[in-house]
Formats: sequence, structure tokens, C-alpha cells
Amino acid sequence: MRILVVDDEDIVLESCQAVFELEGFEALLVPSADKALGAMKNNDFDLLLIDVKMPKKDGMYLMRKIKEQWPDIPIIVMSGYYTTETIQEAIRMGAATFIAKPFEPDELIKIVRQVIEKEERHGKKESPRN
Amino acid sequence: MFYSTRSKLIASFLGVSLLVGGVSLFIGGQLLYKAVLSEATNRVRLDLNAASEIYQNRIENVKTALSITTLGLGFRSKLKRQDSQELFNRIRRVALHANLDFAGVTTSDDKLLCRIGANPLSHDAPQPVNPLASLALEGPGIVAGTMILSTEMLAAEDPELAYRARIRLLATPRAAPRAEKMETSGMALCAAIPVLEEGKILGIIYGGVLLNRSKDIVDTVRDTVFQQEIYKGHSIGTATIFQNDLRISTNVLTPDGKRAIGTRVSKEVKERVLDKGERWTDRAFVVSDWYITAYEPIEDIFGERVGMLYVGVLEATYADMRRKALTILVLITLAGMALAIGLGYVLAHKIMSPVHRLIRASQQVSEGNLSPEIGPQSKDEIGVLQNTFKDMLVSLEERDRHRRAEAENRLLQSEKQASIGRLAAGVAHEINNPLTGVLTFTRILLRSKDIGDKNLSHLQKIAESTVRVKNIVKGLLDFSRQTDLDREPTEINRLIRAVISAMENQALIKGVSIQFNSGEDLPMLTLDRNQLQSVLVNLIINALDAMEHGGNIMISTGISLSASDTGKKGVEIAVTDTGCGISPEDLDKLFEPFFTTKEVGKGTGLGLAVSYGIVQRHGGTVRVQSEVGRGSTFTIWLPVEEQSGKDEDIGS
Ligand SMILES: Nc1ncnc2c1ncn2[C@@H]1O[C@H](COP(=O)(O)OP(=O)(O)O)[C@@H](O)[C@H]1O
Ligand SMILES: [Mg+2]
Repeated sequence: MRILVVDDEDIVLESCQAVFELEGFEALLVPSADKALGAMKNNDFDLLLIDVKMPKKDGMYLMRKIKEQWPDIPIIVMSGYYTTETIQEAIRMGAATFIAKPFEPDELIKIVRQVIEKEERHGKKESPRN
Repeated sequence: MFYSTRSKLIASFLGVSLLVGGVSLFIGGQLLYKAVLSEATNRVRLDLNAASEIYQNRIENVKTALSITTLGLGFRSKLKRQDSQELFNRIRRVALHANLDFAGVTTSDDKLLCRIGANPLSHDAPQPVNPLASLALEGPGIVAGTMILSTEMLAAEDPELAYRARIRLLATPRAAPRAEKMETSGMALCAAIPVLEEGKILGIIYGGVLLNRSKDIVDTVRDTVFQQEIYKGHSIGTATIFQNDLRISTNVLTPDGKRAIGTRVSKEVKERVLDKGERWTDRAFVVSDWYITAYEPIEDIFGERVGMLYVGVLEATYADMRRKALTILVLITLAGMALAIGLGYVLAHKIMSPVHRLIRASQQVSEGNLSPEIGPQSKDEIGVLQNTFKDMLVSLEERDRHRRAEAENRLLQSEKQASIGRLAAGVAHEINNPLTGVLTFTRILLRSKDIGDKNLSHLQKIAESTVRVKNIVKGLLDFSRQTDLDREPTEINRLIRAVISAMENQALIKGVSIQFNSGEDLPMLTLDRNQLQSVLVNLIINALDAMEHGGNIMISTGISLSASDTGKKGVEIAVTDTGCGISPEDLDKLFEPFFTTKEVGKGTGLGLAVSYGIVQRHGGTVRVQSEVGRGSTFTIWLPVEEQSGKDEDIGS
């Protein structure tokens, strides 16, 4: 299980890595949208965890880009400040779900598993990926 | 409006005065004229009596003159001797004195001895004897009165008389039709007196006056009875003697100023007076004018109606009197109308000027001036209106002030909310990231087995505090996040029941019972169910927190009109608890964000602030009543129809 985590704040990246490590997930951490797109080109990921609010290019921009090139990859959006509209917009753009910061480790793991399971059910019916 | 009221007032005054004037004019004119007319008729009737008297006097005159002659010295002896010449001299003297037109003496065997006429006695042919003399002979006795004499008889007496008697009939309007063109016989006043000696008739003396064309009697009547009163060049009084229906002696004038001899009486009068023998007193058309007239029949010595006596007064004089009276009445009416106009004008001004001032004042009010000039206080109904107007102004002002204060308050509130929102957004973003770290690593540390009990409890404290911070920030975010309302038609009672069943367990733990008194037939409301649900949950939690030792929460719903928004229809939800109550100084601060009396960690002070915003965005209001030690009631009012604008402005 490979997860790409995108956030401009180190502490968030590190927190996520710590949580995923305990669970045995492999996490790649990037601090910006551009880096994330670079990482996408060179790697395969099962899931993306993206912060909405980042300087310069934000999570929404990144998500649009990703969906253009890799429409099948599930994305979880996270934010420390959100409104119903931001959540709705993220979902509309193809996000699998939304998680509010700060979250409990258990909460994060639970959501990730849910998304993956759902994705696998979906994926098996469609063409299997390498 | 002002002028039309004035003109209405004046018009009604005018109407009244016109009506009164018109009626009095009509009645007055009519009654007055009737009275005058009947007075005139009475007078004319009396005048006719006088005229009749004069007529009879004239007959008496003739009779007396002739009687005296018979008593004259030697008259008898001369008669006995049939001394024609001497007798002629004597009767000529009498005729001269008494103004007789004809006179004569006949013998006891009805032969003419002499007569005064221009026709001298001729012994060739026997002379016709005046039937009057014959009548006296047959009588025997004195004969006196009116008599019709044929033209032959008149010619025999004096050809001049026959000529005088001839009267051409003139066409007269309204007269009864008559075949003949000329009247030849004459009407005379006459008397015949037998001269007696020892019971034996010696002869008859007779004489008379021909009335045809005579002015004598009629002018006497005019001059004595009417005393020569003149109206517009005409004598107002007139008299006439008719032979049959023909004017033979008169001072009634034709339009060209001649005596109207030859004209005839109207058919009406003829039928009444001549044919039926009645008197006539009424207005009648005489020759060419209207007169107030009296007619009576004249009977001749045989008792037959042979003519009429007439007197009349020109109606024009009375009509003139009426015209004068009417003129005065009209003048009075006109004066009344002028007075009405003046009075109406003044009254209208007096009544309308305060009204007008009020109108101007209300115009000023509509332009926004709430303290306009009303003018001096009236003492009548207008005064009541003025007072009401003033009261209205006061309450308008009050409402205005109230509204302004409310609007200011609302503005302040939303500004406050907005700045808090901005602050919260920044803070949340900044805090939530490090908080994620704190929470994550604390939880990870808590999982490791080898940190010791003491450290474990320290870590737990860190975790708890972090969760508290997380909750505070979340509340802050909830407050600042002014999301759009996601409205849908909602049965409010059902929503409340759902909330209650979710809260029942919590209440049970605290030993509190929740009751619901649901109002019937409530209208559907279009609400954001989630947001309203959170409002209700917060109210119930607050109520539970206010009750330490058990108690009661009563929720009730019902239809209600808005107190502030001019009776708008809506639904009220009241949540009443039997808790500690709220002190008056806290009541004002309840809805301020971060106001809380709860111990640190328990309350954020954002619940009511958030609730208030939600209700407000629904177009509703929140009210609190509370008594320390007894409990509190929070009342939410929501309008039935969706409020325009408000929520959209504040939201998003
Ligand atoms: N039903 C109630 N009875 C007594 N006090 C109340 C009640 N509801 C609210 N309050 C008072 O209002 C304050 C503010 O309430 P709220 O805005 O909900 O914040 P919080 O509940 O977090 O304190 C409370 O701390 C309490 O003092
Ligand atoms: Mg509360």
C-alpha cells in the first residue's frame, strides 16, 4: 500500500507518516502540488491524501491535475478550516472523502481503509491494474 | 380636496337658500296674488253695486223730473184742453233741465199730443205712440226702467236718436257669434207717468234717456267710484252698459284709444250673465286687456234681460303689485344666497384650514419630517383628529427609533460575527496543523507499552487537553462558518420529536424528564433541518446543564404572530426548564460569542451565539425569559414563509 501525502506543513506530513508506518503503509511525503505531480510521474500510488489549503498551488488545483491524468486514483482531502462548500466542491471534483484536521490516528486509518476497500471492490469489477 | 369641500359646503348652503327662496317665492307670489285678487274682486263687486245705484238713480231722476212736471201749475188744465203748444214748451223745459233725450205727452186715448223731438207733428199721418206711454195707460200707474226702443220708434221721437242708436258690430275676440252686422234699436232709461184727475186719466207724460253712445252714466261711475285713478295713462276703473252683449256705452278703450262701442262681451260672460241671469265677478278679457270684472244683468220694465252693467279694474295694476312683491322676494332670496356663499366660504375656511394644515403635516411626515407644524389646537372634532395625529406621530417616532436601534444592533452583531469569523479562520488554520501533530504523537506514545504509569497519565492529560482545544476550535469554526441554509419543507413537530429521542438518554442520566406539548395544525416550515436540529440540541443541553438535581424540560409548539414584524404569521417553539435561571445582568450577554458561565472545559460560550445566527438566517427570532432559581424559557419564532434577502446576505 503506497500513499502520497501532500501538505505544506511538515508536522502534518510527519504525523501522517507515523500513523501509516504503524499500520504498515508506505507513505511518500511532498510539501507542494508541483512536487506531488512530479512524484506521481515516477511512482505508482494506491491513494492520495491532500491538504486543501497550501500556498501558491492549492489542493483543489492539484486534484484537478491528478484527475486529468490519473482519474482512477482515490483521493482523500483534508483541511483544518473548511466549510460545507469546500467539502462539497472537493467531492464534486472526485475526492473520495474528506477528513478534518486535527484527526485521531484511528480516525485516519479507518477512513483510509474504507476508501481502499471501496476502491478495490470497484477496481476488481473493472480492468485490473498493474 | 380642500377647495372641493369648500365648494360642496357653499353649494349646499346655496341649495338650501335657493330652495327656501324658490318655495317662498312661489308660495308667496301665489298666495299674495290670490289675496290681492280676492281683495280686488271684492272691491269690484262693491263697485258694481255703486254703478248699479247710479244707474237706478238715473231712472229715478227721469221719473222725478216728469212727476214734478205733472204737478206744475196749469199743466193739467192745458192737458185737458189739449194745448199742444203749451205742453210742448213745458216738457221741453223739463227735458232741458233733466237732460232727457226724448219726452212727450199723450192723451188718454193713446194719441200723441206733443213730443220734443226734431220731428214736428204732422197731421197728415198718425204719429206712432211710444209704447211706454201705452204701457202707463194700460197700467195704470207709473212706469219707469230700462226699455228697448226700435229704430222706427226712435226715429219718430227724433231722427237724431235713431242715428245715435245705430251701432256697427265690431269683430271681437272671444265673443259669441252673431249674424247681424248692425244694431239699430236703442236702449233707454225712461219713465211714463199718468196724469190723473179724480181717478180718471187725463193723459200720459213720458220721457227718457237713450243710453247708446251716452257717456253720462259710465263716466259718472268711473269718476265717482274709481276717482280717476290712472295707470300708465289709462283709467284703472272702467264701466260699460251692454245692450244684449254689445257695448253701447262704455269708457273701456280700444288699443287705438277710442271708446270700445260696438265691441261685444266674451261668450263666457254672456252665457253666465245674460242667459242665466247670474252675476259675474272674476278676471275677464275685456276688449284687449285683462280686467278684474263684475257684471250684472239689466232687466227691462217687462222683466226681460236686455243688457248688462259692467265695472272692471285693470288687472295690470295688481299684476304690477305682484311683480313688485315678487321682485322684493327675489331680492331677499338673492341676498340670502349671497349670504350663503359668504357664510359657506368663511365656514369652509374655518373648518378646512386645520384640516388643510393636517394634510400638509401628513405630507411632511411622508417626506420624513416627524415633527411637522400642525397649527393651533381646535376644540372640536378636528381637535380630536389633531390629537390622534400627534399620538400617531409619537408612536411613529418611537417605532422609528426602535427600528433604527434594532438595525444598528443587527449591524453590530453581524460585524462582530464577521470579524470573529475572520479571526477564527486564521486561528483554526494555524492551530489545527500543530494540533494534528500533538494529537497524533500523543496517541502513538500512548500505544507504546514501556512508558510507565506516571508518564501514561501525563500523556493522557495531554491528549484530553488537546481534544479540548480541538473542540474549542471546532466551536469557533462552527460559529464563524456561516453556511448557506439547506432548506426543505419540514414538519417541525416531527423534527422536535427526533431531537428529543436522541437526547432522552442524556436526560435520563441526569434524572430529567422531557415533555413535548405539540401544537396542532402547524404549517410546514422550510428549514435547514441539520442546523435547526443543532439549535434545539444546544437548547436542551443548556437546560440539562442548568439542572443539577433533576427536573423538567417542557417543549411546546404553536402558531404565533411575530411581535416585531407587523404580525407576520409563524410558529413558536418554547423550551422551558426548571433549572437555575439566568441573572438579569447575564441575560444581555447570553448570545455573545464566548459568553459562558460553565466551568472551564465544559462550555465554549458559542452555542447560543451560533443558534442565534441560525435562527436569524431563517428570518426568525429568539427570546429569553428567566427567573433565577425557578428556570428559563427560550422561545424561538420562525416565520411560515421564507424571509426574503436576509439569510442570503449573511450566508456563505
Ligand atoms: N437553560 C439555561 N438555564 C440557565 N442558564 C443558561 C441556559 N441556557 C444558557 N444559559 C447560560 O448561557 C450561557 C451561554 O450558553 P451557550 O451559548 O449555549 O454556551 P455554553 O453552553 O457553551 O456555555 C451558559 O453558559 C449559561 O450560563
Ligand atoms: Mg451550550
